[in-house]
Amino acid sequence: MAAAGSVFVAGFALVLDRRYEADTHMWVLAQGPRRVRVGMDALGLETSGSLSQLSFDPPGTELVAGRPFGQLEAAKFVGPLVSPVTGTVLAVNDAVAIDAGLAERDPYGEGWLIEASLDGDEAELGNLLSEPDEIVSWFTAKATSYRLKGVIAQ
Amino acid sequence: MGEPLRVIDFGLSSPLRSQTLWHAVAYGVSQGAPATLSFTRPAAPYVCLGYHRLAEEVDREYCRRKGLPVLRRMVGGGPVYLDSNQLFFQICLPAGRLPAGRPQALHMLLEPVVTAFAALGVPALLDDNGEICVGEQKICGHGAGQIEDAVVLCGNLIEHFDHEEATRVLAFTQPRQRRQTLSLMRRFVGETQIDPAAFQTAMTGSYAAGLGLDVHPETGLKGFEREVVMRLDEKFTSRAWLAGVSRPHLAGSAGPRARVVKVRAGVWTFGATYRGARVVASIVNGRLEQVQVQDQELNGCTERAERALTGAALDSVGDVLATFGDPGRRLAVAFAAANSARP
Repeated sequence: MAAAGSVFVAGFALVLDRRYEADTHMWVLAQGPRRVRVGMDALGLETSGSLSQLSFDPPGTELVAGRPFGQLEAAKFVGPLVSPVTGTVLAVNDAVAIDAGLAERDPYGEGWLIEASLDGDEAELGNLLSEPDEIVSWFTAKATSYRLKGVIAQ
Repeated sequence: MGEPLRVIDFGLSSPLRSQTLWHAVAYGVSQGAPATLSFTRPAAPYVCLGYHRLAEEVDREYCRRKGLPVLRRMVGGGPVYLDSNQLFFQICLPAGRLPAGRPQALHMLLEPVVTAFAALGVPALLDDNGEICVGEQKICGHGAGQIEDAVVLCGNLIEHFDHEEATRVLAFTQPRQRRQTLSLMRRFVGETQIDPAAFQTAMTGSYAAGLGLDVHPETGLKGFEREVVMRLDEKFTSRAWLAGVSRPHLAGSAGPRARVVKVRAGVWTFGATYRGARVVASIVNGRLEQVQVQDQELNGCTERAERALTGAALDSVGDVLATFGDPGRRLAVAFAAANSARP
């Protein structure tokens, strides 16, 4: 499912109203003053394989940018979901914890993962990609690289 | 000279140590220890849950009576029964050495196992579902995970498999599902009777060649790793760890309930209930094999419904049951619950 305002880049849906962490494919969308929603983009999900489980640290847990806030399981492979921000978990999306496939079907909408308050330096958000042109360039380059390496289908 | 592949044979280990030793290796590799291939064989039987699985999937009362420890690992997969007739291996690498795509990473870590089996005359293949098989039988279970900055894949050489006990330790709400699961276990989980020492040698060679590493046999863990073992011994026996991650569930919901048990990729059983309708079925590659249904209003049509369902594609059961009125609709909801919970 493509979110409202989404574009297709290199064969994958992408929305340009939010920020992206370039290495982990996590997106960050402002929900109000110092409150954000976090999810994973369509390319990151594609490289993960077919999801079977998602689990998250509970509300109240401190988040550190670059450290795990949960786990993702696909094809019996469990790996970390890495936080793009420093803050505190405010809410987790129970819907994706029950049905991990929701994150694949609607990665930018109903498939969000957690909501968090931002307790760190505001400048931290400046490390994320935010300009539409740079987001599209980064996403295109990543998809091309993954295809060349056989990580995703041609 | 390539980078080293540390090879450690832990030999016979207690159930707890057969888990904590290799988890400690993963923490060590994450901290800079070389890529490591390790082996161990549990000295006593036990049950182990995958990271995300519910403790309720195991018949803990049975395990308690039999003295079977129940542990939880940090890698994926379902609840499994382990004993001394299974030789376990673990390959652990820095995460940065693996492809970005998990399916590709898994393939890279599983292919040397197939090579090792082949070197010993076992015609194993890595199938499209990522299972190591001979014919239709899975011969090597596996699970993988990233622990800090290391990735570990563990698997086993199944010299003898106790299908009965592997099924008995699982929790079922309907006895018929247990019988169907045992039947599929016998058919789809196979044994490989080869010399385990030769298997270890072949695995060491195939991983070294496949990963471009030089073999460095070692006898034990580094100091940091030994400290981690002690911490993990405590963690893995704690109630909180065995309880697992917090997961929302449908407790109290009036909706259908399904219990799904995967035997191998594409092969599973389920039991489901919905408003008095009960279903137990075996699924093999998307089609229903054994099917048993129950609903008070089927009024003598139970056998006809079971015959109509046997061999049907799981996705088509709604059409098949459409001619059975209200009980058919209730059964269709139960089937749909199982389909949505499919492994």
